[in-house]
Amino acid sequence: MSFKVNPEEIRSVKVLTPRLQKLKEEWEAAPPQVYVDDTLLFTESWKETEGLPVDIRWAKALEKRLLECPLLLRDGELLAGSLTKFIRGNGTLCAMKPREILEMCESGRFSRKTSDSDSTNITPEDLAALKADAEYWIEHMPKKSTVNEAYRYDMGEGVFDLLFDHAMIFEGRGVREKMDRGLFQNYSAYGGGVAQVSQKCIDHGLNYVIDLCKKEKERMMREGDVQHSHGSAQFIRKYWLLEACIISCEAFIKYAKRWADLAREQAAACKDETRKAELIRIAEACEQCPGEPPRTFFEAVQCVRLYHLVCWKESSDRPEVPIGRLDQLLWPYYKKDREEGKVTPQDAAELFGALWLKIREVENLVTIPREQRAAPGSLLPNITLCGVNEKGEELTNELSWLILEAMAQVKLSEPAVYIRVSDKTPDEFLRHACDCNVRFGGGNPAFLNDAEGTQRYLDRGVPLVDACDWNASGCLGYHLSCMEHLGGGHNINQPKVFEVALNDGYDWRTQKQIGPHTGDASTFTSFEQVKQAYYDQLAYFAPILMRVKTLGLATEIADGPMSGLRVAMQYEDCIPNGLTPKEGGARYPEGWTSWFGSRGVVDIADSLAAIKLLVFDEEKLTMAELMEACRANWEGYEDIKTACRNAPKYGNDDPYVDEIYDEVAKKVVEIMQSIIDPITGKTPMLFIGAAAGHIGLGSCIMALPNGRSKGDPINDAACSAMPGMDANGPTCTINSATNAPYAKEFCGFAMNMKFSKSLLNTDEKLDKLGTLIKTFVKRDGWHIQFNIHSQEELQDALEHPENHKNLLVRVGGYSAYFVDLPKALQAEIVHRTMHEMI
Amino acid sequence: MVDINTVGRTFNIQRYSIADGPGIRTTIFVKGCPLSCKWCSNPESQSKERQIAYRNTQCKACGKCVAACPKQCMTLDEDGIHIDRTVCDVCGTCVKKCLPGALSFSGKDMTAQEAFKVVMRDKDYYEKDGGCTCSGGEILMQPDFVAAIFAQCRENGIHTNADTCGCGSEEAMRKILEYSDMVFFDLKHMDSAEHKRMTGVGNEQILKNLDICMHSDAQVVIRVPLIKGFNDTDENITAMCETLKKIGGQTPIISVLPYHNYGENKYRMIDEVYELTDMEPPSQETKDHVKELIESLGFECRVE
Repeated sequence: MSFKVNPEEIRSVKVLTPRLQKLKEEWEAAPPQVYVDDTLLFTESWKETEGLPVDIRWAKALEKRLLECPLLLRDGELLAGSLTKFIRGNGTLCAMKPREILEMCESGRFSRKTSDSDSTNITPEDLAALKADAEYWIEHMPKKSTVNEAYRYDMGEGVFDLLFDHAMIFEGRGVREKMDRGLFQNYSAYGGGVAQVSQKCIDHGLNYVIDLCKKEKERMMREGDVQHSHGSAQFIRKYWLLEACIISCEAFIKYAKRWADLAREQAAACKDETRKAELIRIAEACEQCPGEPPRTFFEAVQCVRLYHLVCWKESSDRPEVPIGRLDQLLWPYYKKDREEGKVTPQDAAELFGALWLKIREVENLVTIPREQRAAPGSLLPNITLCGVNEKGEELTNELSWLILEAMAQVKLSEPAVYIRVSDKTPDEFLRHACDCNVRFGGGNPAFLNDAEGTQRYLDRGVPLVDACDWNASGCLGYHLSCMEHLGGGHNINQPKVFEVALNDGYDWRTQKQIGPHTGDASTFTSFEQVKQAYYDQLAYFAPILMRVKTLGLATEIADGPMSGLRVAMQYEDCIPNGLTPKEGGARYPEGWTSWFGSRGVVDIADSLAAIKLLVFDEEKLTMAELMEACRANWEGYEDIKTACRNAPKYGNDDPYVDEIYDEVAKKVVEIMQSIIDPITGKTPMLFIGAAAGHIGLGSCIMALPNGRSKGDPINDAACSAMPGMDANGPTCTINSATNAPYAKEFCGFAMNMKFSKSLLNTDEKLDKLGTLIKTFVKRDGWHIQFNIHSQEELQDALEHPENHKNLLVRVGGYSAYFVDLPKALQAEIVHRTMHEMI
Repeated sequence: MVDINTVGRTFNIQRYSIADGPGIRTTIFVKGCPLSCKWCSNPESQSKERQIAYRNTQCKACGKCVAACPKQCMTLDEDGIHIDRTVCDVCGTCVKKCLPGALSFSGKDMTAQEAFKVVMRDKDYYEKDGGCTCSGGEILMQPDFVAAIFAQCRENGIHTNADTCGCGSEEAMRKILEYSDMVFFDLKHMDSAEHKRMTGVGNEQILKNLDICMHSDAQVVIRVPLIKGFNDTDENITAMCETLKKIGGQTPIISVLPYHNYGENKYRMIDEVYELTDMEPPSQETKDHVKELIESLGFECRVE
């Protein structure tokens, strides 16, 4: 590298220049508007293509939307590519969820994924059109859920007692009975499952991919394709899929040209020479890319913007498109321009600001009930930075610095930024990351264990060069960049299983015996009996979930191919294989087609510790008394509840409970991995996490001996402690989580931490946070993120100190726990921090 | 020589302590202090004796402790539990009866080896500069315990920091210094009569120990709790800097800790009265001025 990162220069960039500031304010002020053009175009295309192969129909539907959707290029915008014609438009496809869209039309309230507030803005014409569109699909879609009918046929009606709408032993997108299904049912696609921004496509240009498809089609006809396609069905599938890929890629190129034309049109009418030049720059970029490789850094950024947008449009219903390793993708283009003096850090910073605004602009309507949403408030357009390559080189570069700086200055909820941290991460960069985290506030960036991520793929036989090319996806997952499909998880609600185990297999919610008889916990006379009952219930339920997962996934896979775009994004493998990534066309198709999830083991460890302490060690209570208190949801038993809450809790480096946690966590792995994943023929890839699912999961669980009340959320994230219960500082919480190598067994093993801003107000203190992160990684922790506490949280701490025992504040020469401070001082800190946050 | 089986009395061990020296540290707070500073933020650390501590925020006012107390020294009113400390023999019956955990022991006895094991639990986090701090209470009251902890740290390459008010025997000071990489030395007032008025003890012995520290191998950091109307005068600050120059040996960093009243709630926990209820923290102006003054006298100054 012929230039060196200058931290001072990075920190002095101005990301939100006046024109970006103006765009941001316009966006903030714009009311969310329901956008219908895309769904109408989709339906129109679907009617036009009746009778054609389904892959062609998908591609044609994408083509029509790309060629005919309205475009919006606002004054002052540096990058082209708006999803809708509104500054803040929310669209969807009626084909995917018509009944619920119709309900929204009737109520006049349109619920949005990125916010808890509904949109009510829709023109009367659009409302009428949307309603008619929804009604058309209700008439034409299958009347029953294919997946659920498959369960019913194969497993009998009883399986529904366990699923999401009932006992909720399992949860996951595939097992919700009342879910609106629409035309196709291919839900389990997030992160690696959807089309994703592909570096190779950008670098080569889509004309190259189109050419490959054409040649392969010709070759198939000329030579046959027995090495890949066995039988006529496979042959013709591949043939049409390649054609679909060509249609989608060509449509994408034409879509970019439409943006170029619009920019040229505006340039022609523009009096301001600077703006005119900007518009011409956009036009030139959109004429060059994505058909051909970018020639400049700017063209590369513009290209990334359009890829994200088109991948988003293609995926339609689960459009969680990861942007991937942005600092690596853009680096060759930036380096060249920087060395030639054509771009400065300031230029790049402003461009990232523009990109951030465009990414955040993307919103959609969502029909999943609020309390059941995974990752509410986010569309998960994740960006991953840094990482060690196959040569052992650490890849942090100037763009890694600038991207973080842009994130901190723009302060938008999306995109989320992840940093792959290793012992080679430069300390100075880590300090910058911590500083950006403080300035951003709410847990951005998050930190992932670089070596651990790579190692898990190496363990599965992936060669090093590919194993180290992974990026964050979904809410807590990660995947190889454009080399695999990654399906959504099906999860076991472990605390629910534990609850059922305490009740002899009986579920209060459905009022049915749903598990085997393992004994009523009121009568248990030893601690071993309690644990064994839980293990026995888990051993009963786990194979049932695997069957549910397998039937659901396989049915979905068979059900819904999308346009050929995702074939293009993984062209090296999907073209010769003639299959989409989801069907097995990806480079690593045999593995981990979906996570086998487990949530809430910490709740069980804490519950067992309370039982051990209060019933068996100190004999303060009997099992019967404790169970009575739990079943009464602590009513009339407040003292027992308090005693349960005060029992040792995971997260305090307390061996009393941590040893129980170790034992339970290992046993859970053992039981869940004793089953083979029938789709892969391997032991399942385990996933432990609860980005937001902990709220829904907790809603069906009665009071547990850890002191939690009926219906309260279970623990957030995967290895965080019970809220407010990790009272001994962050090293203790990390020690509890990393004493045993769970992270090696599970993906998604995330830790949330809350920090006070005043703990991080000097470079020295930021370095201490950096050390904490590096030590977490050194101890094999997988994922850690820090909430620099918010005003609301402090306010809540003021009102409900019992929930915020772990909130540290530092003012003056001492650190103190917020709850230990006099009320007046607490109030003072609340005000002071508000002052700081501005 | 040190004995790792020396028993000490602690009142808290703080993990991820980042205010008590460089890097990430574990701070062991020992119980018992010869001073009784009116602003003390850890009043439960002053008495060497074990005590029953009471947190009224956790109390459910069930009265089980009052009924169970064999000395009948507890009462319950609208302000919660009160303990007659002149009668209480700290038998702990009430602690056992308290399900919500509002009553607890303040003061835990452990060996230097046990304390060191706690320090070792966070060894991964210390890296080059972090480590172990012993604070109080006053470490000079338990020199054998502290020295034995530090000696074990030394053997394992863990940085040690002795946080002291300087009030104790010179022998105790030397014993601890032998194993200390750093000393946080409190200087509250240069005038002995004033010192005595606010802390109960004059400063003569403290200055003797300061001399020893300044001429030792340990890096000294001077810590000044800045109390409005007590030690924030130009006269006192100047006298302090002059004294430090006169003693020589090294030029310490001076760390100024503006007064805060975080400890106020804790006085209720042990049925004691907080006298400084009207005391205000020093103003920004004062803090800036003190920093400037110290720097003008040739010392590096940090206001925490």
